[in-house]
Amino acid sequence: MLELKNISFRTPEPVAGAQSPAARTIIHDLSFTFESGRFYAITGPNGSGKTTLAKLIMGINELTSGKIFFNGSDISKLPIHERSNAGIVYGFQNPARFKGTTFRDLLSIAAGSDDEKILFEIISRVGVCSLDFLDKLVDSKLSGGEIKKIELATVIARNPKVAIYDEPDTGIDLWTIGPMVELLKREQRENKTTTIVVSHNKAFLEAADTLLLIRDGKIGYSGDLAGAVPILEDLSVCTFNELCQGVDNAQCYR
Amino acid sequence: MLNAIDKQVLKEVADLEGIPKGAYNIRKNGELLDRKVSANINIETNEKGDGIIIDIKPGTKNESVHIPVILSQAGLHDTVYNTFIIGEDADVTIIAGCGIHCGGKESEGHSGIHEFQIKAGAKVKYVEKHIALGEGTGRRILNPTTKVFMAENAQVEMELTQLGGVDEAKRFNEAKIGAGSVLLITERVMTEGNQTAESRNEIELAGTDSKTNIVSRSVIKGNSTQDFYVNLTASAKCYGHIECDAIIMDNGRNQTVPALRALHPDAELTHEASIGKIANDQLMKLMSLGLDYDAAVSRIIQGFLR
Repeated sequence: MLELKNISFRTPEPVAGAQSPAARTIIHDLSFTFESGRFYAITGPNGSGKTTLAKLIMGINELTSGKIFFNGSDISKLPIHERSNAGIVYGFQNPARFKGTTFRDLLSIAAGSDDEKILFEIISRVGVCSLDFLDKLVDSKLSGGEIKKIELATVIARNPKVAIYDEPDTGIDLWTIGPMVELLKREQRENKTTTIVVSHNKAFLEAADTLLLIRDGKIGYSGDLAGAVPILEDLSVCTFNELCQGVDNAQCYR
Repeated sequence: MLNAIDKQVLKEVADLEGIPKGAYNIRKNGELLDRKVSANINIETNEKGDGIIIDIKPGTKNESVHIPVILSQAGLHDTVYNTFIIGEDADVTIIAGCGIHCGGKESEGHSGIHEFQIKAGAKVKYVEKHIALGEGTGRRILNPTTKVFMAENAQVEMELTQLGGVDEAKRFNEAKIGAGSVLLITERVMTEGNQTAESRNEIELAGTDSKTNIVSRSVIKGNSTQDFYVNLTASAKCYGHIECDAIIMDNGRNQTVPALRALHPDAELTHEASIGKIANDQLMKLMSLGLDYDAAVSRIIQGFLR
């Protein structure tokens, strides 16, 4: 349904002393097909290319090579808004902060309507934002958790066919993560939303039908969580092993 | 009495569909067009005959005064000196503004000086909109000046807006803020083509526990230029903040110079200023919600100047 075919992404990287910048490969000849209506979790070490992969799907980053097909049509060259209108929506890891733009504005754009009744319905469907958020400015005064809740709501308001959430739990309090996972599962179940969550959080990894482990710009593993655990515990993936010092019973999903 | 152009201008500068309710003074092409006073708000021409005195009785609540200016005569440069006396504990809204309709080759301009005497405990909201319309090629010039003198525990909120059509604007705002008083200024200016706009502000936090927040939002399109200067002086224990943001589009140019001066050890003054293009992450966000590039730009600017 959403097919990534041999996609690569390279970015120029200035090298001291060199005349021309070297290219760093972030995504390396990656192929994968996301099936309709399934829940995917993408995990992997910091800097492995998870966010870049998500942004390539949304069209925020441009492919260096390869192709992306969505329901059979090639969307590799489509601009961001056309991919959005085709049904792909991305929730940013670090959402933009505006000056003068309110949550109501963003939600109205996302929903394609400023009818208050419709906006209220979306908010109650999302659940994690309170109604009094509506006239809040989406600016630098919002806390990290508040802006992530708003980000989540704007994605859901689009009724996406494919929803990509980039670390949706960053800054979110412990009590909200459970409801957030339930919400994404419910959207998957009721609206057949193909759900892709980039996360390190055990709650999302457990909720996923399929887990993708990205290492060095490639898929290191895809399958269920049980199969991924030995790899996730692999010292070569974990950069935190100095902290737990390899204690056997430490549950670590990083 | 109001022709089609007058009505269009009034709608733009004062959101009026016709003659306003409450007290008003409508000036057209350098002359009085119509005036109405109320039980609490008196308006009369000053002694020199170069402006009006708006006298608001102490304790007047929830009343408004409209004082729009219409300019539609080519070659006319109108100058006025208006004085507002706001009585103790009054709570009023003043809607001012000037609309130029330029139909010819000659320039047209309006220089309005508004002086405010704000008595103790009074609360004023002052809304001033400037706009220029019409197909003419003459330059449209607006040079507004406001002078605000605040006694104790007063509150003034000023919204100063110029959203297009004005070729040349030189603004000067001066304020002296008394003990416990609060002055909030929000200035929004959009320029395009070869327009120029300059705003100079001299604000003094004179009394103990006086406060001010000065916000400037500029959008500079085409080859236009905007300069914003503010000198904030604190001569007492007080709090003041300046926030200037400019979005540059096309080849616009901007100079933003906020200056803080503390003449008292308990003064607390801060400022933040930024000049730049529309932030890429904002554009990406709105495009990911389905807006094309141009629609995304326009929504961001709309919010920014709101």
